[in-house]
Amino acid sequence: MGRRRAVITGVGAVSAFGVGYDALANGLAAGRSAIGPIRNFDARTFPTRVAGEVPIEKTSASLLEKHRGVLLHIGEAAAWEHSGLLRDRKVCFGLIAAAEAWRHARCGTAERRAALSIGLGLEQAFLEDFADQLDGDEIRIGAGDLAGPEGVRFRSRVDLTAEKIRGVLGLSGRVAVHVSACAAGGTAVAHAASLIERGAADVVLCGAADSMVNPLGIGGMSRLGAPSPRAEPSACRPFDRRRDGLVVGEGAAMFVVEEEGRARTRGADLLAVLAGSATTQDAYRATAPRPDGSRALAAMERAVRRANLAPSDIGYVNAHGTGTPLNDMAEAKAIRALFGDVPTSSIKGAVGHLMAAAGAIELAACLLPFTRDLLPGTAHFEEPDPECPIHVIGPRPLQRRVEYVLSNSFGFGGQNVSVVLGRPR
Amino acid sequence: MTHAGRMAVTGCSLRTPLGDDARAVLRRLLAGERAAAPNAHFDASTYTCRLAATIPGAPRPTKHRKFVKRMGLFGMEVGAEALARAGTPAKGARLGLFCGYGGLRAHWDDLMPVLERQTGDARATGAWAQGFSLLHPFWMLFHLSNNAHALLSIDVGGKGDGTTTAGSNAGAQALRAASIALAVGSVDAALVFAYDTLVEPETLLSLGMSGAATSAATTEAVVAPYDEGAAGFVPGEAAAAVVLERPDDAGDRALSFVSAAATADGAEGFPSPRALASLAAGLSVGDMIVDGAALASPERDTAERAALADVLGPSATLLALTASTGQLGGATAVVQAILLAEALRAGALPPIAGLDRPSAGPLRPLARAEETRARSALALSAGMPGLAGALRVEVP
Repeated sequence: MGRRRAVITGVGAVSAFGVGYDALANGLAAGRSAIGPIRNFDARTFPTRVAGEVPIEKTSASLLEKHRGVLLHIGEAAAWEHSGLLRDRKVCFGLIAAAEAWRHARCGTAERRAALSIGLGLEQAFLEDFADQLDGDEIRIGAGDLAGPEGVRFRSRVDLTAEKIRGVLGLSGRVAVHVSACAAGGTAVAHAASLIERGAADVVLCGAADSMVNPLGIGGMSRLGAPSPRAEPSACRPFDRRRDGLVVGEGAAMFVVEEEGRARTRGADLLAVLAGSATTQDAYRATAPRPDGSRALAAMERAVRRANLAPSDIGYVNAHGTGTPLNDMAEAKAIRALFGDVPTSSIKGAVGHLMAAAGAIELAACLLPFTRDLLPGTAHFEEPDPECPIHVIGPRPLQRRVEYVLSNSFGFGGQNVSVVLGRPR
Repeated sequence: MTHAGRMAVTGCSLRTPLGDDARAVLRRLLAGERAAAPNAHFDASTYTCRLAATIPGAPRPTKHRKFVKRMGLFGMEVGAEALARAGTPAKGARLGLFCGYGGLRAHWDDLMPVLERQTGDARATGAWAQGFSLLHPFWMLFHLSNNAHALLSIDVGGKGDGTTTAGSNAGAQALRAASIALAVGSVDAALVFAYDTLVEPETLLSLGMSGAATSAATTEAVVAPYDEGAAGFVPGEAAAAVVLERPDDAGDRALSFVSAAATADGAEGFPSPRALASLAAGLSVGDMIVDGAALASPERDTAERAALADVLGPSATLLALTASTGQLGGATAVVQAILLAEALRAGALPPIAGLDRPSAGPLRPLARAEETRARSALALSAGMPGLAGALRVEVP
């Protein structure tokens, strides 16, 4: 019996380019950047005032209704909105992307036994809730009127998005929630491939959703000093000599991943093969990547080896490429050491850093080489940095046919994941 | 016959409401002690659920306090201890880290400086000047879900495979992921650690309101799971870690062997007893002892026993360690892996603490401690939404 292979048969995305995978693909294909001023709250007094914000001011039941696709039981959405649940933007984004992927893959009743492997970001705390519960300098929480469910929504449970996706699609398979910070999305997709290859599932809905474009997320990141201090659309310019920080993004990308034979039998469109993946850890510092990029290199090398490929088979690298001085330099060293002059880009200059969902949205971008023979560019990349000695594509995309691509995601504290995608045959 | 994912445990450590030494904790379990007490973390006197089982004491002083909250620090402590006790069987790229993270639930204490001047400012106009500028620079890192994992990997030099999973079966997920990494040879040792607390205001409120947690006013009034009068569990907290190695590599260093599985059945509440039994069936090798999910709901307890009887037979012995320790959320599976092995090694099974009137039904809920010659047992854990974990523990 041959090795079971995992293939992607459906994709859905929500990004700063808009709702839907086509919005992402068309935006990247046009070489545009969707970074702009924050609109969903008043950020004028914040040091960070730009983001890769999904162009929706309010996540609502009507938004879900508009993009519901084949979602079941959508009538619940009004109740979710009433309860405040939809204020957590990642819940909405995850639901919409999941519905699109499900619809795109033409999944139906036969796929409802699918597993779910999802990467999610920070639990959410809402300023409005806190403010309403304040009494002087005391939080009024306890018995009485404030003790019920309406009085205690101080956070959106970390696995809430997973719960709602499973509920509306009627999925009954196993669920895994990955919370490896910025590596979570890539890890979730890698885990899905592992489930398929081991025979633990035949269909997996996988991907990630996150949003930190809110006062707490932007405020916290600002205090950390990670975002670019420039409140300009070009604030994030990965691998550019003048790069000075990241831009926070938000959104989701979800995929239907299936066992290849099953997908072919039911006539599904094969978008890509999940050929290999690997995780490693830097074990270096909490706030900085390992400068020599050696553990990032190890993740890439192992992912390529697990795909039964040689480094020269990889035609494009989608870098983590945050636009921070330290990350890009270390990653570039690792890419150069393993792949030489392979074309490389980061889409974070165009859509921002989607944090837990970064790996997922970037894997969605990695379908472009197979669907349009197009390698995404690096928005705002203008001045090459001698400290990043790699072939950076950008800012315009590069028309080229490649057979295999590799995507990197590196999480806080040095959790690394690399995923190899192949052109379906 | 053994399960394909069976791995050797060569080191372990834990923090539980009943202590941090497995042998001593077993003694208290055998004596039928219960850790439930009036909530030690905050005043819950007006809550529906007023009792909790909390870890006594605080994490040791560490430079990591600026990055990691209390439970994460406990997780880091037990991880480092387990690895040291295992003799650090692998280093660098051959050592993997797998974390089960129950959840991080309360932010308001450290947000007070930000929040106290925000009233009436729902759109956060001027929010920066009114408070966010006061956030500690590491506030974001403090609330990251993988901060304990990342810092522990630095402390122990673990550079191999690594994942952090979340949810109330996260411990079982982490054990399973580690077993796979060992089985495919990507690491030679896997440090698995899990931590969780249900003893936080929001969680206690929702568990109390839903009736899942006990509303008993005193420890003595708590009715045990599998008792005909069961009326909710005691929320607890724990951190636990094990080092896993392939059995052939561990040789006679193996303290025990563990196989794990995790699933979800789509339920919004607790998983169905059938889902739990199905997991148990996938791991069972003729086992006759099971540590149940012990949710202390007469309806669920009855259904769980019926489902397990179909897998294990009607005379299997039923334990409930969480009757003593409290429900431990995402940490449950790793705690079970340690304490069940300790019990099997000692040849003594702990009673279901406080079980006075076992409800009718199959299986044999253990009301009194008893000796055993069994060398293996199953364990189950359950949490919302529909998350189930299972493991099989075996001693040499």
